[in-house]
Formats: sequence, C-alpha cells, structure tokens
Amino acid sequence: MGTIKLQNINKSFGKTEVLNDLNLEIKDGEFLTLVGPSGCGKSTLLRIIAGLEQQTSGDVFIDNKNVNKTRASERDLAMVFQSYALYPHLTVRRNLETPLRLRDYSGLERIPLLGNLFPNKKNKTKKIQDLVHKTSETLKITELLDRKPGQLSGGQRQRAALGRAMVREPVAFLMDEPLSNLDAALRVHMRSELSELHANLKTTFIYVTHDQAEALTMSTRMAVMIDGKLLQLDTPQQVYDNPSSLSVAQFVGSPKINTIKGSINSDGTVKFLNLELHRTSSIKNTNVIIGIRPEHLEISKDHADNSIEGVVSYRENLGSDMFFHIEISGDNEKLIARGTPQLTSSISIGSKVFVKRLKGEALLFDQSGSRIKFTSDN
Amino acid sequence: MHYSRAHIWFVGPAVLLMFVILIFPILLAGGISFTNYNLGNPSFDWIGLENYDKMFSRKTYIKMIWATATYVLIVVPFSVVIGLCAAMLLNSLRFGADIYKTIFFLPVMATLLAMAIAWEFTLHPTMGLVNSFLANGCGGMREFVLGFHWLPWVNSNASWYHIACENNNDFPFWLKDRGYAIWTVCFIGVWQAFGFNMVLYLAGLTSIPRELYHAAEMDGAKSTWEQFKLVTWPMLGPTTLFVITITTIRSFQVFDTIEVLTKGGPSKSTYVMMYAIFEKAIQQNLTSIGAAITVVFIAFVILLTFFQRYVIEKRVHY
Repeated sequence: MGTIKLQNINKSFGKTEVLNDLNLEIKDGEFLTLVGPSGCGKSTLLRIIAGLEQQTSGDVFIDNKNVNKTRASERDLAMVFQSYALYPHLTVRRNLETPLRLRDYSGLERIPLLGNLFPNKKNKTKKIQDLVHKTSETLKITELLDRKPGQLSGGQRQRAALGRAMVREPVAFLMDEPLSNLDAALRVHMRSELSELHANLKTTFIYVTHDQAEALTMSTRMAVMIDGKLLQLDTPQQVYDNPSSLSVAQFVGSPKINTIKGSINSDGTVKFLNLELHRTSSIKNTNVIIGIRPEHLEISKDHADNSIEGVVSYRENLGSDMFFHIEISGDNEKLIARGTPQLTSSISIGSKVFVKRLKGEALLFDQSGSRIKFTSDN
Repeated sequence: MHYSRAHIWFVGPAVLLMFVILIFPILLAGGISFTNYNLGNPSFDWIGLENYDKMFSRKTYIKMIWATATYVLIVVPFSVVIGLCAAMLLNSLRFGADIYKTIFFLPVMATLLAMAIAWEFTLHPTMGLVNSFLANGCGGMREFVLGFHWLPWVNSNASWYHIACENNNDFPFWLKDRGYAIWTVCFIGVWQAFGFNMVLYLAGLTSIPRELYHAAEMDGAKSTWEQFKLVTWPMLGPTTLFVITITTIRSFQVFDTIEVLTKGGPSKSTYVMMYAIFEKAIQQNLTSIGAAITVVFIAFVILLTFFQRYVIEKRVHY
C-alpha cells in the first residue's frame, strides 16, 4: 500500500506563506507529479510529505495513518534528491547498502568487528547483499558497484541515487527534480526509463519538477501548483486540454498558449480581433481572454476568410515542428502558431501571413483568469 | 634560431632568495650539527655524530624528547576533539554563536606570552586564584564535588581533596611540581589551541551539504550519533587532517608558555625541544648542539608532513 493524503496543509517561513490550505490525495501505485514554476512551494510540499520539514498546520496521512509526529526516518519513504546526495566517501555498493544496514541491523550488530559475533548478522548480511545485487541488476549498475560517486558520470550517479531509494522497497518514492542535473538527451531518455521503472515496481511515485514536459510525459496524474496553491489535479491530457485557469493553461504547454483580449456580447457571442467564435459563452456581456494553443492555429501565405492577418517576426525551427511568432497587423498582439516544416518552408521572417484557427479548440477565461464555459461544453 | 636568456632573469631571483633564506640556513644548521662549533669560537672540529649521540643518550635530552612527546600527544587529541565538539555545538545554536566564537577564539588572538603571565598568577602555589579557591573550599561543597565524594566508591576521608585540606592546604604546586608541571602546561596548550581548531571545523561544517543529512535521515539514520558517523565525520575528513597537521606542528613549536612559566623545569620535566634549542644555542652559546636539536626537530616535522601527504590524504579526499 502507498496512499498519501494531505489535509489543509499550510506552511509559512516567518511571514512568507509558502503553502496555502493544500489538499491532495495520492492513490496507491500512482505516478503523481507536482509541477509548477520555481518558488511555488512544490519542493516544500514534498519535504513535508517526507518529514524533513514540519507543516505549520494541517495533517499528513500515509496509508491512512496520521504521521504528523512521525520522524522522516520512520515514515518508510525513500527520496531521490536533485543533487543525488550520495555519500561521497562510500562506494556505490555501500551507498546502496546503507539504508538496509541502518534498518535491518540492530545497534549492537553495527559495532565494527564485535558486531560480527551475533549469529543473526550473517543471514542479514546475505539478504542485504542479495537485495543490492538485485537492485543493481535492475538499474544496470552492477559494474559500478565498487566505484565511488566521484568517479561516476551524472547519469550514473542518478542511477545510484535511484538504487539507494529502491533497494529498501519503500511505501512511496519521493523525487525532487531528479533529472534536472542531467544533459538534455539523457533527461529525455531517463523519462522513459523512470516510467518503465514505475510500471515494474507499481509503487507510488511522487515526482517534483518545474519542467511541464516531464510532468506531461511521465505522470498518471499531475498536480499544478502556482504560488503555494494547488490549481488543478488531473491527468496530463485533461490538464492540457481542459485547464482550470489561465495560469495553468499558460504554465502547461510549450510554447505558451496564445492569449488574446476579446469580449462577449449580450447573446453570448465571443468576439476578438475581427473574428468571432463558433461557440457561444455561458456568461454574457463581459470582457474575456481567449486562449488558443499554437497547434490549433493554421498558418498560410494565401488569403483566407475568417483569418487573422499578420507578419512573421521570428521563426523557431525544431525539425519536426516549426513555430512562427506573428505580429498581428493593426494590433499590438502577438501570436505563436505551429506549422510543419514541409508546408511552411516558403514562409520566412517578414512574410505576410494569414492565420486560421481550428474549430472548437479555443479556451475562454475571465479577467481574473478563471475558466468560462461554452454553452456547448455541458 | 635565437634563444633568449630572459627566463633566467625571471626565475633567478626567486631561486636565489629561496636558497639564501630558506634552504641554506637549514643546510648550515645540518653542517654545524656535525661540528663542535660554538658561537664566537675562531675555529671548529668535525666531530661526526657526537652531538646526536649525546642527544639520544644523555638524560637531559631523553627528558626533552619525553616532554615534547607528552605535550604533542596530549595537546593534539584534546584540542582537536574539544575544537570539534565546540564547533558542532556552536553550529547547532540559533543565536549567540558569534559571542561564543569570540570568547573561544580569544586565547588564539591574544599573545601567548601575556596569557602565560596571567596563568602564572592564577596558578601560583600560595597566592594563586586556583589554590586559594581550593583552600577556601575545604569541608564545603567544593570539596564534595572536586574530591569526587559524590561517587559511591570514594572514601570521603581519603580523597585527594580531603588529604590536601588535612595537611595544611597542601594543594598541588602546579607549575612548580615535577609531577604536575607538564600536565599543567598541556592544559594551557589545549586551552590556547582549541579555539583555532574550532574555527577551522566551523568552516568545515558549513561546507557539508544539508541534503546529505536529509538523505541520511531518509535512509534511517535516526540518532545524532549515526548521522555523525555517516555524514559529519567522513565529510570533515580533509578538515581533520589539516587541523591535526597544523596542531601537531604548532605543538612541536611550543615555547612561550615554557619560557614564561617553567623555564623547562622543574628538573627538566617541561624541557620541550624549542626551549632546548633556545637554551643551548642562544643562552649557552652551544651552537652545535642547538643545531643538532634543530635538525631532529625539522626531521620530525618533515616526516609528519610526508605522512600526511602520502598516507592519510588518499583516504580523506573522495
């Protein structure tokens, strides 16, 4: 079992409030990502779950047991740190053995030399060695076991740190931006490896990251946190397609969602620039912000009806995709649109283009950033 | 091809200076130690190892080595351990640490000579603060505590304190007593040295990443002792090595306290190497024997440095 429940968690450092009345329920075996911009309190939340930090108020439950007063070492969680935090003076083998030694051996058995006299120690040592061997095979670090962390590359250290967390078979894994110290290629590779590991272990993973791509690719559910508040908790697809607020919509997705000022008239028609949306809003007579993701825009050099006219100011070529930054003619607004390199190769910086939007993909937000539903949404 | 000789002018002065002021004096001392030259003598004879032979056979010099070894072997471990403990205690304080740091560091900053004079007054057999404090406590609380009467197996009529009180306040003469002098000097040495070690350890402690302690906690290291063993002590390895080396060399060099407090006495019980060199070579003009002691002294220090460099260094850097 590995369910974790957070109830009304508040945390402040002096007068600065970091977490504000946070509720979160993590299911057994789930890969939950806490994602948000830096300083949103996600790492603090993870450390509160771990027990390394004490919440100002609120309750933490692990497997339905209140652990407010339980020390980190007794919560049976394992953590992978951003800096890996391997013991630099011990070999990888000893690093992996450490959590087992500290838990399985009694205090007397850990005394050097004298400890070997205890009859049980031999069996325990055998068990520890087997577990370390098994873990190192899973992570493919068997040949690194006798090296010290200083002799390993970033990726190898990352694996060793993962191994130290895995070897004990904890209730849940807590990971604090474990991939952020790796180079881009390795980071992408490790994403799939972590997902695979999660699928094999079937243990609860709680993963903190500021990288929305990591959150989208790996998690079962993701919790978007901004300014100490939990804004949305849902599957990655839902969060992407159906964000609860403008800040979530802006945080998730790269490049950022386009936002354009618009208004709703008395019959619910949404107008922006020189266009109007097909769907009608459930709220009437107000100013709104319309969000459209870059991939929901179509760009072409040919004039089309119901399109926005603009000039390309910058072109981002990602190989598979091409992103165009467009300055809208006669307006101060900017748009980013995605195109495929094949179809858009003739469009260069300074080109005059026409942007069409795909039906039914726009999102509506009011001035404070909350979602407004379309009448057809229900 | 044209070769410039400019490099000689760049390197030359430095090499020359190094020879004249560092290496030559040591070689000279080495040379003199094989002669019977005394300052002011018009001539000298080569006498081979006679000076060294004297050093390892005459009682005075045996005592010298004994006193030096005692001093080093007491002051180094005590000042290192106390320095580490003080640093860890200060590191755990939320406020007030700066005040304690200043207080503990005072003996390091003050000149040992002035401090030694203060200690001389304090430890004076009859008028000193320590002994009058002890004498006034006869039969009271001080006798109970310092005489260890609170331990069940101590006979309160036979404790050292009680006996001293009985015998007309016959408390130790500290610096004037052969049996006490070296230990008293050691005590002052520890008192003086630990503040410096504490500061070095404080610097070492702040460089330990906090995440390692968190990792240790998550791994199940519950007690402070376990975390100390798993994280603090190994991570302080390089600092400890440096602290021990520095303290050892400084302990070998102890001179001021001896000169002010005991002058090597009573009966040569505090006759440390530095003082011996000073007495022989400067006061008695016996330059050659002074040179021999110097050579042995330098040999000790070099040996120690090599040991540090090649044996221990490999174990503390990861």
